[in-house]
Amino acid sequence: MKKIIIRICSGTTCFVMGAAELQTLVEHLPPALKERVDIQLSHCLGLCNDRNFSRAPFVTIDGEPMGEATIPGIIARLEALADRNA
Amino acid sequence: MNGGLFLEVGQAQCPKKGERVCGDAFRSRKLPAENRIVSVLSDGLGSGLKANVLATMTAVMGIRFISADAQILPSAEIMMEALPICKIRRISYATFTIIDCRMESQTRILELDNPQFVLIRDGEPFPVAYHELVSPKHRDRVLRVYEFETRPEDRIVTFSDGISQAGLGTDRHHLGWKREGVAGFLRRRIADSPAISAQCLSEQLLDEGLRQEADGRAGDDMTAVVLYFRRPRRLLVLSGPPYEKGRDAEYARLINEFPGRKAICGGTTANIVARELHRDIETILDSGNITLPAYSRMAGADLVTEGILTLTRTAQILEGDVRAGEKNAATAMVGLFHESDQIDFVIGTRINEAHQDPTLPIDLEIRRNIIKRIAAALRDHWLKEVTLRFI
Repeated sequence: MKKIIIRICSGTTCFVMGAAELQTLVEHLPPALKERVDIQLSHCLGLCNDRNFSRAPFVTIDGEPMGEATIPGIIARLEALADRNA
Repeated sequence: MNGGLFLEVGQAQCPKKGERVCGDAFRSRKLPAENRIVSVLSDGLGSGLKANVLATMTAVMGIRFISADAQILPSAEIMMEALPICKIRRISYATFTIIDCRMESQTRILELDNPQFVLIRDGEPFPVAYHELVSPKHRDRVLRVYEFETRPEDRIVTFSDGISQAGLGTDRHHLGWKREGVAGFLRRRIADSPAISAQCLSEQLLDEGLRQEADGRAGDDMTAVVLYFRRPRRLLVLSGPPYEKGRDAEYARLINEFPGRKAICGGTTANIVARELHRDIETILDSGNITLPAYSRMAGADLVTEGILTLTRTAQILEGDVRAGEKNAATAMVGLFHESDQIDFVIGTRINEAHQDPTLPIDLEIRRNIIKRIAAALRDHWLKEVTLRFI
């Protein structure tokens, strides 16, 4: 099955706004999700441009941007996606 | 430096076992107007703090006198008379080796009771003639004076007697490792890696000295110093987007045109270069941690890092805040700086609005300021040649 790709932005703003903690995402994933996702770190994704920076940190999930990302928020989104693809 | 030559100065030290402070001192001073570097290695009497104070006094005086072109013998007399006299040996102590390199002409070396230095030329120890000077006031102390022309790829290696006497009394070395042992090690090491940096060679010489000891611990204070006359290794650092967006292409092209190694510090900067040169950026997964973002790879660049956080930590390390075992984007950046002689910064001055957001949990330094701090540390502490250009 094709894995869901998560990219965590490592740009300065995202990093200080919470992406540093998002790097530990894999440790928080439920076992069922662990095998279905591929977590990647990314250089600055550029998503905080256009005065959008108050929504940092950003991740993308299968290319779809997600602002104000938190570990519970990402897991909820992944579970929804996994259910849809199941 | 003149004639396309650069002098890299490397040194490594280890205190005598049981001591916390090394009784040897090493100081170097660059005199840019004269294209000259003066270095002094001094070994203070005994070990520990007292020896360190004597050695430091000697090294500082040596640098002052020689930089001011004072006459040799009177300077040496003043130095000997300024130091306390050892009650047992009845000599004022410390020893010294002064290396006075004028890049446009001759190198002069003055040795007083330190082991003879080794000149490595064309990969082999090369004998250098000297004459002796004796002060009428201190007839027991003979000053050796060497004067010679240096050539590209020459290395001057000097060391305290802790290195040449390493292993003294062991079955392997009844009389210690000796200067011949040191010279043989240098020859083999340089044959294995002809471009080895001065810093790396000095560290390896110290390690090898420690290996000669029966218990692997220093029987005396040990200092290894290497001066390497080499063609300059250049590094370009791009950081920050150009003030005018119209200059992005010109800025990115610098990566292609620069004759040397290249580093990109900043997410937006990396994105500009990737976009203009049609390159991909690949982030190295394991290179980040909770304090610093991971670094990346891009074709044509030796290192790609995040900007302000990495540069701030880089400045701290260069200013002396070293943490054992640290490995991240900042230490990778520091490694590139150490391996380079001439460092050109091109600093984009467009302000990153995101960094000015008052809701950010930490204050982010302005790029220009942090790079000025790095440049000052590289110049003053690491004796690098640095240029700054703002775009």
